[in-house]
Amino acid sequence: MSTDNLIAADELAKQIKMAVEGIKKKPGLMKSTAASMELVHKYVERIVTAKDEGKWVATHGTQQPLEIYEAMGVRGLFIEFWGVISDAVKLESVPAALNISASTGTPGEVCSFFRNMDGLLHAGKWPKTDFMLYATSSCDNVKAYHTLGRRYGIPSFGMERPYLPYTPKALEHWKNEHKRLIAFLEEKTGTKLDYDRLKETVRLSYRLTELSLEIDRLARHVPCPLSAECFGGVLLALRLMPGTQEAVDFLTELRDEMQERVDNGIGAVEDERFRVIWSCFTPFWDPTLLDFMQKKYGAVSVGEVLANWRGEANWILDPDDPLGNLAYRTQLAPGNCQYASSQDWASNVVDQARRLKADGAIFNNNWGCKQASGLGRLVGDELMRHCKVPSVTLNVDVIDSTFVSRAEIEGQLDNFFEMIEGSKAYQERKVAA
Amino acid sequence: MNAPLNTLKALSEMQRLTSPFPESVAVKDWKAAGGQVVGWFNPYIPEEIIHAAGMLPFEMTGDNEPVQMHGAEAYIYANSCSKIRTCWQLQLDGKYKFLDGLVSSSMCDQDKRLYSLFEYYNKLPYMDMLYAPRKRDEEAVQLYLSDLQDFRDRLALYRWHRFSDADIAKSIKVYNRGRELMRQLYELRKRDRPPVAGAEALEVSKAAVRMPRERFNELMEQLLDEIERTGREIEKARRLMVIGSDLHNANQMAALESLNAVVVVDEMDIGIRRAWGQVDTQLPPMEALARYYVMGRPIDKHNWISDGRLEFIGELAAQYNVDGIVSQDVRFCTYNGWDKFDLKKQMQERDIPMLQIDLEYGHPAGAQMKIRVEAFLEMLEGRARATEPVAG
Repeated sequence: MSTDNLIAADELAKQIKMAVEGIKKKPGLMKSTAASMELVHKYVERIVTAKDEGKWVATHGTQQPLEIYEAMGVRGLFIEFWGVISDAVKLESVPAALNISASTGTPGEVCSFFRNMDGLLHAGKWPKTDFMLYATSSCDNVKAYHTLGRRYGIPSFGMERPYLPYTPKALEHWKNEHKRLIAFLEEKTGTKLDYDRLKETVRLSYRLTELSLEIDRLARHVPCPLSAECFGGVLLALRLMPGTQEAVDFLTELRDEMQERVDNGIGAVEDERFRVIWSCFTPFWDPTLLDFMQKKYGAVSVGEVLANWRGEANWILDPDDPLGNLAYRTQLAPGNCQYASSQDWASNVVDQARRLKADGAIFNNNWGCKQASGLGRLVGDELMRHCKVPSVTLNVDVIDSTFVSRAEIEGQLDNFFEMIEGSKAYQERKVAA
Repeated sequence: MNAPLNTLKALSEMQRLTSPFPESVAVKDWKAAGGQVVGWFNPYIPEEIIHAAGMLPFEMTGDNEPVQMHGAEAYIYANSCSKIRTCWQLQLDGKYKFLDGLVSSSMCDQDKRLYSLFEYYNKLPYMDMLYAPRKRDEEAVQLYLSDLQDFRDRLALYRWHRFSDADIAKSIKVYNRGRELMRQLYELRKRDRPPVAGAEALEVSKAAVRMPRERFNELMEQLLDEIERTGREIEKARRLMVIGSDLHNANQMAALESLNAVVVVDEMDIGIRRAWGQVDTQLPPMEALARYYVMGRPIDKHNWISDGRLEFIGELAAQYNVDGIVSQDVRFCTYNGWDKFDLKKQMQERDIPMLQIDLEYGHPAGAQMKIRVEAFLEMLEGRARATEPVAG
């Protein structure tokens, strides 16, 4: 099977670098767009150069304490992001990797983030990885880390998160799992964790939380100052590089630019007609869709559940107990509602819809996601019950652009926005505004 | 099958008591006597605790007939496990109205979503959710034990009845006896001519989780006695093992056995895992339950480190002297999906032929499946002939 279309890490880094230069020259974009791509470039470059710089690389899933990695010289390689950026940079890469995965016998019904990794590992195009690290959340697919690690001789470690992390007993267990992760990394790297360094990465991570909450507050403004090209910025910073100064600097720049736009009454579009939240995840399989929605419908994406903190997210309980803080963060962190009841997910979405004054919600039913497939109806019903916000479900694959045609998506969006515009709740909101 | 199901009187009685599905004679009798029924979804729910609370544990599943989807897919989209959709459709159809409670665990994403649907759209008087550990170590045991203790407390509060360790110990004894009897049946299936068909054994396993366990144990004793007394034997050319997703449609297995083959063992949660081992009666009862449910059964598909599952399958195949394995996976099962590659590799290394079938839960074995099974059996015949000693 041909591997010509697969994109490797060094090529990815080069292409992103070129994209940064292109963005700098493109008029009409938010200034922070280049900074967000620079952050992405930095992230990929760190993985590419890790070996030369004497660092380790850990392929990992969601809900990982990346602050510990950072403090131990371990560079994270988030598999979901790798699928997203591969798709964004070279459209043919993900479908090619999925084909290779299928040729090994992996069924096409499991998550394509993982199938993409499966295919790239099989073809020898996955970045050099020292460990596979994962946690119970977000989904059943995390079994793949051990399975693929065994197949390709990569050591792995899983953190077992209680289903309900809210009791002292559960929290203590979860904190101990952090200690076990540290013990695993210390054994594999031969390096002891410097707890002072960890306190610093946790401090930086908390600063990132504060900045993302400030950005959330700014996104509540009508018109929303956050435009499509920077919409994913918060998620990038939170999921890729918590515990780093680079991420803090980026969100500071984004926050400042949004404040400036609010002060000057600048919105993502001139005529903001609809405010949309993504109640499952954003269209990673086609990142141009957000811009299309802005231009065609005046529909601005104001929030997404995977970047939503609960409440004020004050997860620093004791500055001298960085592990306790990290364990507690899990209760509040964006995306942790994936590994919780559907009602919990729905309450996050409802809070976000109210806060961000949403007119509609888009639920991406990812073909390989068993979390999502039993969730959309309930989330939609809760949104309608609590805030009369209608939803549309798009049947898609999270990163496989060949799964559904763009025309079909556009047709559904045409109908959706027409329906919202004609709804009584929307009319009432507009009058009230 | 050669032998019709009604030739075993004890099995016929089990089937009578557990029919019609799901609100059966046994369930109606239990409810008529003022009893409550608690549904459960997956194998990380210790029935012993529900039993000790004086309630009837009942596994929520489908059965021998496919369930027509007419509504469930609006709640659980089509890219999901058809077992989960089947259970929800049965709820929408009012078939599970008799349940007073529901307990599930975080064993799988789709189980969790089904539980949430019940909680949101059809909340039952008692509902609970446990953590199903993915690891098999001491920390996992302690985490699970903590959840079990909370579960027991909540159930006691619901019942306004504090059930003691002695009550739990009594229930453990009842369930241990059931496991022991079911294990004896599995042992008999090692014979060259097994006394029961796979479809019959499946009916036995289903009955275990659909009726009071004390009555089930009595019937199991009768069944084993009947088998020994009658010298019942099934003579088929090929011995098969069924692995993968839980089957509840015995007609699917019967379809395999309508050919010249008999299923002598399985690797299903509803099958041999239910008959496996004993809860340690020397330990404090709650701890014993936690140790059994986390560590005491063979590694299953949901365990992160599932290497042992593949070895277990290989070892069982050898113990039961099977000619081939039929791996049947309900589509959209993430866990089985990730085991496929290594399962195939490991069985190839062990030189055990395997037929991989993806299917929809509860659907009858169609012509396409039958053709594939026939071809598989022909291949097994060819292998057998090739290894036979040449005459003369």
